[in-house]
Amino acid sequence: MENSTQESHHLRSENSVTHESPYPLYAMAVSSSPSRHHNHRIALGSFLEEYTNRVDVVSFDPDSLSIKTHPGLSFDHPYPPTKLMFHPPSSNPSKSDLLASSGDYLRLWEVRENSIESVAVLNNSKTSEFCAPLTSFDWNEIEPKRIGTCSIDTTCTIWDIEKNAVETQLIAHDKEVYDIAWGEARVFASVSADGSVRIFDLRDKEHSTIIYESPQPDTPLLRLAWNKQDLRYMATILMDSNKVVILDIRSPALPVAELERHRASVNAIAWAPHTCRHICSAGDDSQALIWELPTVAGPNGIDPMSMYSAGSEINQLQWCAAQPDWIAISFSNKMQLLKV
Amino acid sequence: MATGEEGNEGVPANLRKQLAVAVRSIQWSYAIFWSLSATKQGVLRWGDGYYNGDIKTRKTVQAVELKPDKIGLQRSEQLRDLYESLLEGETDAQNKRPSAALSPEDLTDEEWYYLVCMSFVFNPGEGLPGRALADGETIWLCNAQYADSKVFSRSLLAKSASIQTVVCFPYLGGVIELGVTELVPEDPSLLQHIKVSLLDFSKPICSEKSASIQRNGEADEEPMCAKVDCDIVDELVLENLYSPAQEIKFDPENIRELRESIPKELDMDSLDECSNGCEHNYQTEDSFMVDGMNGGASQVQSWHFVDDDFSYGVQGSINSSDCISEAIVNQDKHKSSPERENAKKAHLEELQECNHSKLSSLDLGADDITNYRRTISAVLRNSDQLPETRCICSCGCKSSFVRWRMVEAHKPRAHQETLKKILFKVPLMHRGQALKSEQENGAKSLLGDVDFCAGHILSTKKKEHEKFLVLRSMIPSIEEIDKASILDDTILYLRELEARVEELESGMDSTDFEGKVTRKKLPDMIEQTSDNCKKRWINKRKASDIDETDAELDRNAQGDGLQSDVKVNVKEQEVLIEMKCPYREYLLLDILEAVNNLHLDTHSIQSSTLDGVLTLTLKSKFRGAALSPAGMIRQVLRKITWKY
Repeated sequence: MENSTQESHHLRSENSVTHESPYPLYAMAVSSSPSRHHNHRIALGSFLEEYTNRVDVVSFDPDSLSIKTHPGLSFDHPYPPTKLMFHPPSSNPSKSDLLASSGDYLRLWEVRENSIESVAVLNNSKTSEFCAPLTSFDWNEIEPKRIGTCSIDTTCTIWDIEKNAVETQLIAHDKEVYDIAWGEARVFASVSADGSVRIFDLRDKEHSTIIYESPQPDTPLLRLAWNKQDLRYMATILMDSNKVVILDIRSPALPVAELERHRASVNAIAWAPHTCRHICSAGDDSQALIWELPTVAGPNGIDPMSMYSAGSEINQLQWCAAQPDWIAISFSNKMQLLKV
Repeated sequence: MATGEEGNEGVPANLRKQLAVAVRSIQWSYAIFWSLSATKQGVLRWGDGYYNGDIKTRKTVQAVELKPDKIGLQRSEQLRDLYESLLEGETDAQNKRPSAALSPEDLTDEEWYYLVCMSFVFNPGEGLPGRALADGETIWLCNAQYADSKVFSRSLLAKSASIQTVVCFPYLGGVIELGVTELVPEDPSLLQHIKVSLLDFSKPICSEKSASIQRNGEADEEPMCAKVDCDIVDELVLENLYSPAQEIKFDPENIRELRESIPKELDMDSLDECSNGCEHNYQTEDSFMVDGMNGGASQVQSWHFVDDDFSYGVQGSINSSDCISEAIVNQDKHKSSPERENAKKAHLEELQECNHSKLSSLDLGADDITNYRRTISAVLRNSDQLPETRCICSCGCKSSFVRWRMVEAHKPRAHQETLKKILFKVPLMHRGQALKSEQENGAKSLLGDVDFCAGHILSTKKKEHEKFLVLRSMIPSIEEIDKASILDDTILYLRELEARVEELESGMDSTDFEGKVTRKKLPDMIEQTSDNCKKRWINKRKASDIDETDAELDRNAQGDGLQSDVKVNVKEQEVLIEMKCPYREYLLLDILEAVNNLHLDTHSIQSSTLDGVLTLTLKSKFRGAALSPAGMIRQVLRKITWKY
């Protein structure tokens, strides 16, 4: 950050932890609440273009800077899981750790001490034939019984996982929906291949508001992140673009900022969980950049605050609220935890 | 301090500053002094005032660096000037309005209220100030906007400005009125506080403040200090009188830290516990940030994106028309492409008119805006006030991240490869899998691989040739043997047949009519499937009306025993579906829904119902890269025809 000017090479052991997995990784989730029994858990989903894929749960010890694998904490998943996410921090810490995965269906798993049990498989297709595979989902932090999923059949489905039933299903976009993010207990936003970011309010399902459309029509927007510390702002990334677009929900259509310092396309974005103006992005240029959004931008655009160069294209980025000092990235078959 | 105010002989010197201190210390929206008119006995009119509420446009006329308290004073003065210029404009319509620093479009609702108050005159005992003076007592009016206009003559005005609490008390021969946009229950200690603050200040406050500012030695801190200063001053003079001031421990250390880590905020939250909450928080943060960045001069033009109604709806929490948005847009203008830039400029210009919430680029109707406003207020209301944010400084352990500098990074050949695969390819893998498991009925697949399309093609290639020969034999006009021309001829023949069928149909009036109507309805339904739930349902209902009439007219026996026939022809992106099946209600709808789900865009449909049998020819195109195999499509459609 502002203090550290050293090269990161020789300090790697002190400020980053690497875990090498037997297969390429994509989906990743960091557990939000460590319990007494175990350290922070990280779920890693494999990315193999075949039917058998696996999800492993490892644990991270920030004191000893080590990552431990647990042979029992692992399960099979059909095709690569498109997203993994742990249960948001709840007031009841003794509750078991729930992990959700999306792929063909939304699945819930209970991560115990030495094993992982399947809790539910949530399938909302009326016929058993054509389920709509899910591209992503988001767990509502304010109402943890609510999970919103989005799929390639242009719909978003809101699940009530206590009843294991569909709360509602909306046709969200004109084309495939690629990502979804909750802002409030009943408000969520989604991005799609039709190039728009739309905000939906469950109280008023008939209306949605487009707050941004990609400048080239029909350029898909691939990922969306809503700043949980400052709900006015959202970030999104476009297909084949090195820009991170920051949006203000109060002023639709005009992005607040376009962060354009990556040398290649951006793959993942994550807002800082403990401050309201920082965002991290990672891309195909193997770089993870941390940006600080100023109130006034300079004439040449916004420069990142700091950067990290990984070994190869970074595919995934997670900045968990339980570990605000660590950013987890994954590239090829490695997962790294970087000290911020 | 304005000296040239007519008819204000009854106003004590420095009153405005006193009003300023009083109203700022309790963070109410405005303070007005109604003075007794010299000309008319007992009549109250505008004496002086200080406006401390939300500001929409901040224009600096002079280039001088201004401290926020002075900004407030200047603002009040500008409002007064505007009022006077409007007055002149009314009486003398010939003249153009003399250039006041502000124009009416720049004002928020609150400012308008304040401005309009300047025109009010109260007879003895009339109105809130009149009664306060007549009774010699304080009047505390809650829910001012709902008050009877006999009690509070400006209640409608107050409603538009969302002024909810108004307090009047007699003072020095006139009446002081204070108002705020929040509902504050009657609080005698607050009154005490105000009165004391008014009485104790004989000398100008500005110097006091500047002295304390000098103490810090940092000119840039002014904006921040000004806010906190109120509290120093309060702390010094008024002890134990009113809660909000107490929570602040003015701390030079804090300020210095702040300079280093801009995102960090002081305990503004505690400051803003009461009264205006977020509004002031944001506002001050706004001014602090901006001024800090720009070295003190409030030169940044910050204007509201949307009109006043917007801010009204959200209780001012949106009021920090954050300089992020506008200023950055300003700066980033040159970066965007020419068209976009022009669009942006035009957009900004429109906004500057502040005439309407210019969401027109999205074609939002008034209804949509209201709904969206509600949504935003729900989101932002529930979010906490900006939390005390920690800096991203790591304490102790070294960071993995280094300071950013422009480097030549490795550029890969493929863009977003993994991300694209996860979003585009992986979901289709699931679909192929689902279909495959259906097809095989228990027979386990040996290959883990999906590529169903490939497998299908391989197994049928042999049969294809045979089928072409069969086709050739069916069609009378074919002479060639090669596949392309066979298909062409087939298409021509089919078209002929279709035309013939149409002719036959046109002979039968009623059927034809219904057929035509359904045909027309279909494109609508297709377009609307992308809308949200409700609309879809409505269309369903409409379609069913037609279907019902169809059934009524065609009272022929529904062909239960008829075989349903589905033919699907896939050629690159084009898919031709021909179906013949017993007719039932909603059949067409189901078919179209299924076709849509298969990622096909239908561009032509011909359908007719004859003797309870639906004949349908559907031409469609694959929407995206996802290709469904013909078998899958056929399967889906068959299942639909079998449903009852």
